Amino acid sequence: MDRPLSHSSFLPPLFSSAPHPLSPPHSVPHPSAAPSVNAAERPARWSPYQDNGGTVVALAGRDYAIVAADTRFSVSFSIPTREFTKITQLTDRVVLASAGMGADRQYLHKMLHTRLAMYRHQHQRDMSLPAAAQMLSNTLYSRRFFPIYAFNVLGGIDSATGEGFVYGYDAIGSHEQLKVVCSGSGQAIVQPVLDQQFSGRQRYSVPDAERAPSLTLEQATALVRDAFASATERDIHTGDALEMWQITAAGVRQTRYELRKD
Amino acid sequence: MAGVGSGYDLSTTTFSPEGRVFQLEYANKAVELSGTVVGVVCRDAVVLAVENVLPHRFVVSGTLRRVHTVDRHVAIAVGGMGPDGRHLVARARSEAENYRAVYGEAIPARVLADRVAGYAHLYSLYWHVRPFGCTAVIGAWDAVVGAVLYAVEPDGSVYKYRAYAHGKGRTAVRTELDKVRWAERERAEAMREVAGVVERSRDVVKDKPYELEMVVVGERGVERIDRFTAAESGGERSGGGDD
Amino acid sequence: MHTTEPIVTGASVLGIQCVDGVVLGCDTLASYGSLARFQRVRRIVQPGADWVLGGGGEYSDLQEVARLLETMVTREYCQEDGVVRAPRAVHRYLARVMYQRRSRLDPLFNSLVLAGRGRFLGVVDMYGTAFESHVVATGFGSLLALPLLRKAWRPDMRMEEGAACVEHCLRVLFYRDCRALSSVQLARVPAEGAIEVSEPYELGELQWHVAQTVA
Repeated sequence: MDRPLSHSSFLPPLFSSAPHPLSPPHSVPHPSAAPSVNAAERPARWSPYQDNGGTVVALAGRDYAIVAADTRFSVSFSIPTREFTKITQLTDRVVLASAGMGADRQYLHKMLHTRLAMYRHQHQRDMSLPAAAQMLSNTLYSRRFFPIYAFNVLGGIDSATGEGFVYGYDAIGSHEQLKVVCSGSGQAIVQPVLDQQFSGRQRYSVPDAERAPSLTLEQATALVRDAFASATERDIHTGDALEMWQITAAGVRQTRYELRKD
Repeated sequence: MAGVGSGYDLSTTTFSPEGRVFQLEYANKAVELSGTVVGVVCRDAVVLAVENVLPHRFVVSGTLRRVHTVDRHVAIAVGGMGPDGRHLVARARSEAENYRAVYGEAIPARVLADRVAGYAHLYSLYWHVRPFGCTAVIGAWDAVVGAVLYAVEPDGSVYKYRAYAHGKGRTAVRTELDKVRWAERERAEAMREVAGVVERSRDVVKDKPYELEMVVVGERGVERIDRFTAAESGGERSGGGDD
Repeated sequence: MHTTEPIVTGASVLGIQCVDGVVLGCDTLASYGSLARFQRVRRIVQPGADWVLGGGGEYSDLQEVARLLETMVTREYCQEDGVVRAPRAVHRYLARVMYQRRSRLDPLFNSLVLAGRGRFLGVVDMYGTAFESHVVATGFGSLLALPLLRKAWRPDMRMEEGAACVEHCLRVLFYRDCRALSSVQLARVPAEGAIEVSEPYELGELQWHVAQTVA
């Protein structure tokens, strides 16, 4: 992965390309703190961002939602750990998954949990799905000019109707309510398949009236597993294991499936 | 206006015609009226002890401490107003921390005592603050000179001591402290004797129940003596029970 | 003025989790670019009784982190309640410190490895990413040593074996990483009992005669 966002354009020119005054003479950059395979590839200017890859998916049916993510944590071609969760449970009915930069994700999740706790203490109840979705957007937008490099998918069920919904975001908080969404390094592989298989677009064998999402929880689960298995085949930043959270009126259930580790 | 100080006792910013600053004398009075605080320098440690008078018999023992750890090698016993003492201790802690950050080694006791005294002195200079109603008895293990004892008074004066006592029982305790060559005593012995001195200075009829709070600062750092073993105390420890 | 590139740097830190504790290892070199400038520096520090910290990257930043932790431990000591932060809490604290600094665009240029009682092994990098793992390797070690450690790791591994494994990886790093040294330090952090940080020692029996046959 190259540079993440083009946010460097927001940032003041903090670092000149001239050598540091204390630079050792004739020094060859060494990957001691942040390793890269080719030392010459190291950016001349330090970036506060890092792309740790990973794919996240959320989809929702009539009475369920699924939030899924792989557990690989990569730094360019290395995998420092194969067990790095991208998912956090916000309430009994809302689950969040974030791809992008690991440190920003951990910060964001911590921040959200703090705000959820404050909401719970003030309101004596959990945040609803739309409320959590809006709060996530506000949290991301609060760092509009120093973005949190996390690509979020939020899934849950409406506490009133029990219907599942998901929300997709960009790094600075713009979002929309959807039935299926994918983000992260495997997005280009997974999203079109889910569009076709889950949303029923272009399935001409299906009558118009039935084009709305009609998969059962079991069918959707199988679809997500296949989607991740497929992404893992071609995307080097996705793999190791799949964590899947199923949200229904009965509560949340977490399952784990192994993925390719190469 | 016709009180003791005839108008000169309202602020630390004005001397009386006799050259006194009454507010500082009142601050000292606060120390004189509260539980006895004792410090002695023995051969291998400083022993600090406070007669911690319990405000009420319902008070849980071991709460509201008067001897505080400031760094690995320093403890401060507070005579007088506890809350004032805690503020002074907080300042002492940050001085000790700052010294470590700057010089990478433990703050020498003399430097700490000077800085705490300087801080206390500031509170005797301005109309918008009042002096500390406490004495800080600083016991430390100094890397160079070993066990040392300093005391900082409300006016910001500081002296180095071989033995020190202030508070309610100061007269009796000072007399007793004078009889012993503390520098020749071992810590266990000194602890026992200090406990006895404090206990004997009390008026059994009039005085309220107390806990003897004792901390020893030696080469190994700050050690709180929670309870004496029978051998150590010689059965002389009295005061609140443990829980 | 921010640290925009590391000047004096330490290389890899390795760690492995065993049934009876954790082993941490690194060499004792602080390089000035390609110059092996300071050859007997300690990159494993032990401010608390329950954990040790190993660090690579900018050496001055590592000392700053060590100072922060020493201050934290001294404050705990003054509290006098016997309560100390568990290794996991220290790990999270470090993550917050590193993240704050990177967010101020004034990062601490380090990869940190924390090993603690109760078989704790965690990493924090200069961005504030924090995770726990059975095996960790930072710097060049993440390329050369991590695969070796992963292959060697077993859930029933004991500390003697873990130490041998870490030492083997340090040897491999010395052969191949030009910023590594044969003078190393090992920390043994048993699940229970006292932590043991070795003095710097030399990796023995180095064999260079094969060098001519290797590209």
